[in-house]
Amino acid sequence: MPSIIETSQLTRNYGEICALKPLDLKVPEGEWLSVMGHSGSGKSTFMNLVGGLDRPSGGELMVGGENLLALSEDGLARFRREFVGIIFQQHHLVPYLTAVENVMMAQYFHSVPDESEAITALQRVGLGHRLKNRPGELSGGEQQRVCIARAIINSPKLLLGDEPTGNLDHKSTLMVMELLKELRAEVRFTVIMVTHNQEVAAWGDRTIYLDDGVLVREERVGQR
Amino acid sequence: MTRRRWLVHLIYRALVYRRGRTLLLLSVLAMASSLATALGLVSYSMERRVAEEVRKYGANLVLVPEAAHLDVGSGGLNFGVVSEPSYLRQDQVESALAAGGIKAERSFHLRGALQWKNLDLMVEGVNFADIRRLFPWWQLKGGWPGASEAVVGSDLATRLKIAPGSALELSAPAGPMTLRVSGVVSTGGEEDNLLFLALPELQKALGLPGELSQVRLMVTAGGGALKRDASSLKKLLPAARVSEVRQTARTSEGLLAKVKLLMLLVTVVVLVSAGCSVAGTMSATVLERSKEIGLMKAMGGTRLGVMSIFCGEAAMLGLVGGGAGYILGTAIAQFITETVFSASAEFVPWFAGVSFSVSLFLALAGSLGPMTSVFTLDPVRSLRGE
Repeated sequence: MPSIIETSQLTRNYGEICALKPLDLKVPEGEWLSVMGHSGSGKSTFMNLVGGLDRPSGGELMVGGENLLALSEDGLARFRREFVGIIFQQHHLVPYLTAVENVMMAQYFHSVPDESEAITALQRVGLGHRLKNRPGELSGGEQQRVCIARAIINSPKLLLGDEPTGNLDHKSTLMVMELLKELRAEVRFTVIMVTHNQEVAAWGDRTIYLDDGVLVREERVGQR
Repeated sequence: MTRRRWLVHLIYRALVYRRGRTLLLLSVLAMASSLATALGLVSYSMERRVAEEVRKYGANLVLVPEAAHLDVGSGGLNFGVVSEPSYLRQDQVESALAAGGIKAERSFHLRGALQWKNLDLMVEGVNFADIRRLFPWWQLKGGWPGASEAVVGSDLATRLKIAPGSALELSAPAGPMTLRVSGVVSTGGEEDNLLFLALPELQKALGLPGELSQVRLMVTAGGGALKRDASSLKKLLPAARVSEVRQTARTSEGLLAKVKLLMLLVTVVVLVSAGCSVAGTMSATVLERSKEIGLMKAMGGTRLGVMSIFCGEAAMLGLVGGGAGYILGTAIAQFITETVFSASAEFVPWFAGVSFSVSLFLALAGSLGPMTSVFTLDPVRSLRGE
């Protein structure tokens, strides 16, 4: 399987602090990669770099054939809207928009808002009955499902999850993970999921462990 | 849904969600634009009003021919100066007024002497239609004259015992003429000692066709028009002496300029303070929404694309504030002009443009600073709320 992500000596420094030390990694297309580590280990930094949300300090970073270091601000914005879907721990839904409008917001930046497509996406995540509700009227699990619908609406090749179940109870966590598994089976996008939770990491094909910005270990599902 | 329609919908939702802040911004914008509109309208109405008032004082520019002077003397003695009567050509004056682009009310006069019962009567030829329009303070007993008729000044009428209906047998250089007195005029000025008849009739009687001895102009005061027109006429009619006979015109121009400057300064102060208020409120709004901005960027929004949403919000506020400001400003101007000038403010539709421009400018300029600072942040920091 060809690699969708390839890093070589990828680093990220914030002033004196080295958040990510030279990292060499390949992620095959369609893989579900879980990234684990304690707070400050560099896992969110890694995800932000791969998603084009942040710029590396050095090394090489190829995602979907694009050299992210060579892209301008607008180039990175185009890369994000065409290639990446992001699920946040804090959901980051727009409070004054309904569930369906939050999904349409992602369509607006990608191409043209299409309400029927947005409704279909929400129905796929089991929120067909909550279309006109605002985020404040939804539970944490429901908000996260709106976030998932928004992340997949533009058919991204790469789905990034930044602790997507970090704020959810066990039942909601299972529901969200089941949903992601189903969607991935349908669309075959690549998943990079940052998590603290060993149980959540186990849903992936492979888990890498970061410690103090260094890749210290990796495991395949079968190896655990 | 089209992108534009979605953008409008998004802006509407964002503004309605923050009702309190939206109303505060709208109030500030409406207040600033209404004051700019009101002061502008008052200034505009005042200029017109003062110009109308000044017109009541009569001509403010007078053209008379430069007299030909001749020194008379003998054997080292100087006996004085004698002047040759001279005249202005009516067609040349009209050409000069047209060439100078001078838009002024005008009246042409020719003064001369006619004999009546061995007395020299000072006679003035005028166009009575111009006189009635431009010198409304002339009080007439009897009627305005027609052909072969004249009006006589009140002092002259008393002195010579002439009454309306009297016939005057006059002798003129061109021959004898008979005029019927149609009325007696009283102005309180030198006109009370003159006999008035139609200009062409006097020109014919004196043998001076197309000649004038005086032209009175009423230039609308304001913006230095009086000085400009006087200067222009001096160049175009070198044979004429141009005098500003009414200092009130200059004084009113000066006063008007000072009041307008005062209003302009007040408007600037109001706009600056309103601008600061808008900037402060917009700053708080934009900073509060830094996570939203980060999210938009994370979803692939470019800086320009995201900024267009926030600029759209500011523009919508500016338009609504400008509309409200125009209505409010017109009402304020009406109140001021009625209270101070006892007259209605003029309805000037194009001042709506001023109101909208002021409001839009304040809304956009006030948002620019905070927006620029937030939009330079990368999405990760914005999402963290930094």
